[in-house]
Amino acid sequence: MRKLDRLSIGGLACLLVLVLFALGSPAGAGGDPDAIVGPRLQPPGPGWWLGTDNLGRSVLPRVMEGVGTTLLLSSVAVLVTAVLSAAFGILAGYRGGYLNELVMRLVEVLYSFPAIVLAILVAAVLGPGQTAALASIVLVTIPLMTRLVRAAAVAVAQRDYVTSAVISGAGLPRVLVRHVLPNVAGTIAVQGTYALSVGIAVEGGLSFLGFGVQPPQASLGVLIQQGGTYMIAAPWLILGPGVVLVAAILAINVVGDGLRDRLEPRETRSLT
Amino acid sequence: MSLLSVRNLVIDYARTRALDGADLEVAQGETVGLVGESGSGKSTLGSAVGRLLPRAARRAGGEVLVAGEPVFDLPDAKLRHLRRRHLGFVFQDPIGSLDPTMRVGNQLRLVLGRGGDVRFHLGRVKLDDPRVLRSYPHQLSGGMAQRVAIAMAMATSPELLVADEPTAALDSQVREEVSNVIFSLAADAGASILWLSHDLPAVARRCDRVAVMYGGRVVESGPAREVLGNPAHPYTAALAGAAPAAAAHGVRLEPVPGRPPVLTGPSPGCAFAPRCAFAEERCGHERPAPVRIREQDVLCHRAADLEPELSRRREVTA
Amino acid sequence: MILELDDVTVTFAAGPPLRRIHLDAMRHVSLSVAEGETLGLVGESGSGKTTTSRVALGLQRPTAGTVRFDGRPFPRRRRALAGRMQAVLQHPHWSLNPRMRVGQSVAEPLDVLGRPAGDAVAEMLEHVGLDAGFAGRYPHELSGGQRQRVSIARALITRPGFIVFDEAVSALDVSVQVQILNLIKDLQAEYGFSALFISHDLGAVRYVADRIAVMRAGEIVETADTPTFYTAPAHEYSKQLLEAL
Repeated sequence: MRKLDRLSIGGLACLLVLVLFALGSPAGAGGDPDAIVGPRLQPPGPGWWLGTDNLGRSVLPRVMEGVGTTLLLSSVAVLVTAVLSAAFGILAGYRGGYLNELVMRLVEVLYSFPAIVLAILVAAVLGPGQTAALASIVLVTIPLMTRLVRAAAVAVAQRDYVTSAVISGAGLPRVLVRHVLPNVAGTIAVQGTYALSVGIAVEGGLSFLGFGVQPPQASLGVLIQQGGTYMIAAPWLILGPGVVLVAAILAINVVGDGLRDRLEPRETRSLT
Repeated sequence: MSLLSVRNLVIDYARTRALDGADLEVAQGETVGLVGESGSGKSTLGSAVGRLLPRAARRAGGEVLVAGEPVFDLPDAKLRHLRRRHLGFVFQDPIGSLDPTMRVGNQLRLVLGRGGDVRFHLGRVKLDDPRVLRSYPHQLSGGMAQRVAIAMAMATSPELLVADEPTAALDSQVREEVSNVIFSLAADAGASILWLSHDLPAVARRCDRVAVMYGGRVVESGPAREVLGNPAHPYTAALAGAAPAAAAHGVRLEPVPGRPPVLTGPSPGCAFAPRCAFAEERCGHERPAPVRIREQDVLCHRAADLEPELSRRREVTA
Repeated sequence: MILELDDVTVTFAAGPPLRRIHLDAMRHVSLSVAEGETLGLVGESGSGKTTTSRVALGLQRPTAGTVRFDGRPFPRRRRALAGRMQAVLQHPHWSLNPRMRVGQSVAEPLDVLGRPAGDAVAEMLEHVGLDAGFAGRYPHELSGGQRQRVSIARALITRPGFIVFDEAVSALDVSVQVQILNLIKDLQAEYGFSALFISHDLGAVRYVADRIAVMRAGEIVETADTPTFYTAPAHEYSKQLLEAL
């Protein structure tokens, strides 16, 4: 097994720090995110290491809670995407025919919407909130992932070991589970990390627009939206969550690249 | 003076040794077949001619001279100049060697520079259909794409064309045509060819000379007819007799047991010794030096005493 | 006769709906493979030999004509034939699932039949000239020749009556080709299976087959006993192939 390169290890470390940071919040580190601890809009200082917001709450615990909300929401959404994409992509790619046409047309329709428009539509139907954010992330990430899983499954379906299994009398479930799935799992994992970074961005955008996570619960999007109002007077409000958001997305992408180099050798690499 | 001369070249990859002291000479206008099985180092040697090795490769010794210039010691600008003036390359995968995003006509124009006659160059490789110019590489058949690649390689009138199994991915009928195009173009231009292949009989039919590689060294070289018909190295003899096509009806071929070696450092003796039916004690720890047998240069301690034995075997199977 | 193809035609449709073109991949092909016999099928790529192999394996339904296996028409469900027919296919790189250990791959045909593998895997690996320890390895740790040996072990483990070798040695080095061809001949003498050996290489086909059929542009142009192909094939195209050797 080859090791991940240094850059990916850095990305992984950064992610780990963010997760630990987020886990600190329910453990009570950094203080109560909803407690008013001091005067409004104070710059960083003792007692409020990242300053205070417009209600006098400490920013540090709020960023910790926000990272947690965002990461958890995006991860759950991407998990849903991965399961659905794997199921549809593998079936469409391996069976072909009408099922393939149907899945691909649906995916194309979804793909034709700009991500944020799609997200707003979903929020309009479901009403703003966590469910809407979750559904939006799923709908935004599912088309690309399904397509790539399907493409990988089409390639695997033509491999000689699949043909040999069919000749031996192996039924569809066996072929899909033992031969196709393990060989597209790399694609799913790699695309999953990219989807995660897209998910974080979508959650940020949607909450920023007020359709996603609702205050007082903090998420990175909510924090950036609130901080935006006081950008001139209190830049630390937007700086903390902003830096964390960028770091999270960068780290995840770097890890995704490393995973791709390791799991998808050049000849089977998907076109991304 | 030789156009190409490779002297005692040693190339290492991270954990393996690809070339373990290879020697090769190609004279002006000569066609040389470089024959070896996968892992023998022939592709590494072919790429080393233009210093086209992957980044992980490291030259641990020896040198490559093209038209007298030491390829590995040239500054980048001079190397590019040398590649442009003296060398042409054709690879196994024709479609992969062309730029997939660019129409064939434009790619050719890029190579030819201003004032180049694209039609003429395609005509030389027997591609007269004007639609080829407007096609993207993936729209061409393998044979057509390989002709385009040949046209590009020959457009700058190189003195040496290195062809790395250029027909291996093609159908046998197209294979003949593509080989014909390469050899006739080179003959017209007076260019030399270094033809890499794993198929000894096929190469021997077309080339003036053949060099056989094993374990990162050229173990036998000489006139094609002699090397194929009257091999002096036990490995060449085994290779010449191993092709199923060489078997007479009802005769069972006995291939050399075992597998080619994967070297991690210099081979202590002859790399073929563990599989060789004629090996003696010193073959295992003493590197053979080249000896002259008839018209062949051979790396084998026992080449001289084996000469009658190998000729006799040849007559039995033929 | 273990396998009979009687006047089989396979037509593929290609192109957009209104300008659809129909291509005959096989045209009135009749072939038969007798018990214990090896029939060699030679042809260029595009000659229809891959389609012929798919028809023989029941992976492709003929547009016209009939296929009989062991005297009976092909059953509608593949399951009914499980274990009685196997294949060794061309690409050693992709003949084995890279995510499965060699032992699992070899045992799979038995697994499909619901039979326990027991010692069969180790025994079979040794039969094809591999150490039983190979069962624990992954395909990427094997050379091309070793992978093809594993494919042969997988094909033989159910003791099938019929095996298709589709370009089974084409991607291998010459000296390894002969090792595998000899192995096929030896195993056939031992197990007595019938075989359809398909290749573009007349040299390899001639070496293993009892009878040879030459295919070109979807049609069989000549069928004759192997000795004829060493001396005097009748058809012009067969002569060309012989000369090219």
